[in-house]
Amino acid sequence: MSTINFAAREINFKIVYYGPGMSGKTTNLKWVFQQVPQNRKGEMVSLATEDERTLFFDFLPVDLGEVKGFKTRFHLYTVPGQVFYNASRKLILRGVDGIVFVADSAPNRLRANAESMRNLRENLAEYGIKLEDIPLVLQANKRDAPDALPVEMIQAVIDPEMRLPIFEAIATNGIGVFETLKAVSRQVLARVASAG
Amino acid sequence: MVEPAIALFGGAYEKASHVLEELLRETGARYVLLLDRKGFVLAHKEALWAPRPPALDSLATLIAGNAAATQALAKMLGEPRFNELLHQGATYGLYAEEVGDLALLVIIFDNTAPVGRVKLFGKRAVQSLEVITKEALVEPGTLGIDREYHAGASALLDELFGS
Repeated sequence: MSTINFAAREINFKIVYYGPGMSGKTTNLKWVFQQVPQNRKGEMVSLATEDERTLFFDFLPVDLGEVKGFKTRFHLYTVPGQVFYNASRKLILRGVDGIVFVADSAPNRLRANAESMRNLRENLAEYGIKLEDIPLVLQANKRDAPDALPVEMIQAVIDPEMRLPIFEAIATNGIGVFETLKAVSRQVLARVASAG
Repeated sequence: MVEPAIALFGGAYEKASHVLEELLRETGARYVLLLDRKGFVLAHKEALWAPRPPALDSLATLIAGNAAATQALAKMLGEPRFNELLHQGATYGLYAEEVGDLALLVIIFDNTAPVGRVKLFGKRAVQSLEVITKEALVEPGTLGIDREYHAGASALLDELFGS
């Protein structure tokens, strides 16, 4: 849930990029980091292994600007995608306000996408959160792969009811990155506004 | 989401700031921070003689992650919790202690501040901060973010990420 720091007049939201290993979660964050002007972002922190696989999380704070006298800030996190890092993934989900699920479009990653979504559902349940109750958008990444599966097929395994928005992306050149982030941010803001 | 948030403002913020200031003076530390468990800074104080601290956002995020991992380790070992976290290097040290279920107290000090004093006064400050943060709890949905705020923030999203 969002944190308001009245003393510093800040409202902070936590958005987590989730998905299977190597699907492009860190690449999304790196693109945001590269494109957002210097005065609107903080340091990017990456806890990664030597071969650049996320070990614990990546973190990037982005300043949206000031609304009604409050600085609004999104804290973007990625989780480690590899299956055996589940204990770390669970920790990062604490206090999450919105989730971007980054799916891999490659045919041999279809099952990994489905397993990661199931893992997300299970980990959220440990915090008493249902998948349906949290702002969540899907991203079908690596659309430039020569054998990329149709988006509908990917969505069918991770969102069989087809209720979630899905964005096509090639995160390495930024295609779809901002669109996805904007969509989840809007959902997060809409949710707190309707609760307030 | 389902857990309550700490909304530290007005009298509660003043009280917490006072505790942090006292702690800074008593321990001779460089910086003291009160964080929530998600890694957001609720309040902080820095000694006037100390250089500017590193980015507080990054610091808070890493400490909250570290504390969460430490508690997960404790549970795996059958221990309800490990109460404190202490890192010491040649020059700098970092001490973190839980403040109830939702917050963390962090003290960053150098080798002029004895660790024993940091821990002693840190534990004392935690007792006061626990009462203050408990009183500052709000349930989700009562933070007063309204539709006007939503519209303003939405416009900024377009400005930053393109419409």
